[in-house]
Amino acid sequence: MSPIELLDLVLLALLLTCAIGIARLKDLAACAILFSAYSFILCLVWAHRGAPDVAMTEAAVGAGITTVLFLTVISRVGRREK
Amino acid sequence: MNAWRTGRILTTVLIGALAVPLMYGVLHLPPPGQADAPAHSNVSAKYIEHGAEHGGSENLVTGVLLNYRALDTFGEVLVIFTAWLAVAAVAGTARQTGHESTPPSPIVDYVIRMLAPFIAVFALFVIVNGHVLPGGGFQGGVLLGAMLILLSLAHGGEPVADVVSLRTWIWLRAAGVLVFALVALLGLPLTGYLFGLPTDPTLRHALMIVLELGIGIGGGAVLGGLYFSIAGVERS
Repeated sequence: MSPIELLDLVLLALLLTCAIGIARLKDLAACAILFSAYSFILCLVWAHRGAPDVAMTEAAVGAGITTVLFLTVISRVGRREK
Repeated sequence: MNAWRTGRILTTVLIGALAVPLMYGVLHLPPPGQADAPAHSNVSAKYIEHGAEHGGSENLVTGVLLNYRALDTFGEVLVIFTAWLAVAAVAGTARQTGHESTPPSPIVDYVIRMLAPFIAVFALFVIVNGHVLPGGGFQGGVLLGAMLILLSLAHGGEPVADVVSLRTWIWLRAAGVLVFALVALLGLPLTGYLFGLPTDPTLRHALMIVLELGIGIGGGAVLGGLYFSIAGVERS
């Protein structure tokens, strides 16, 4: 296995871990932060796959703006999933 | 067996029934990077061969976004604007909760004040260089929106939302849709097609930059508006 494939594999494993974590957590604020981490790892995957335009959007929208919007909504509706 | 168990079993069966054909399909995709795969040999090959010349942009992604697939991009701009309308309609009318937000530490405040102008300049750079470098209207717009949100987090939303009047904000948020529609209509007299960009390189570059600026400023204002509505700063 080449180092490039190994990096892909590690990134995908991290993505999967984040996704499972988001599905299982009951704390919405933690979910939002984990979702931000998920987006950032996905951004690395895009950059690594030679798609800088998509990587830039993923970093700005996924890891940045949506996290802030999620946290703002959570601050208004309550932190725990019922 | 109670209803909850039945639900779980049905869900598992449904996911399995969806997953098996999907995985079967994925297994039969050509390996990534194979040059003669069908996805790379027809339309994409033409884009890569003639894209810089026909699309009018060194960055092929921008060429596809603003020229080959302009109607798609117009739809995206419209979707973003509609998203803000929906959020403003739902969240903008909700009564604001009375709790006072704690002011951030002086360090955070100072750092955000220092960073904001640089973020704005970088956002403009990303917007107007979309045709040669990665980036463009959408990415730059998100950076502008992020700057608005950062400033709102540091100083409370009101001073930022009051920089221009609500009417001006609404026009700014519609900028992407309006500018795109205008350029699309301009294509009719210039090239004979809606969404057509003229073949003259200077004029085409100018129009593409106008498009990117419209998308960027509109997108940034929409993202700021989303935050203002959700945070209860702006009543609409």
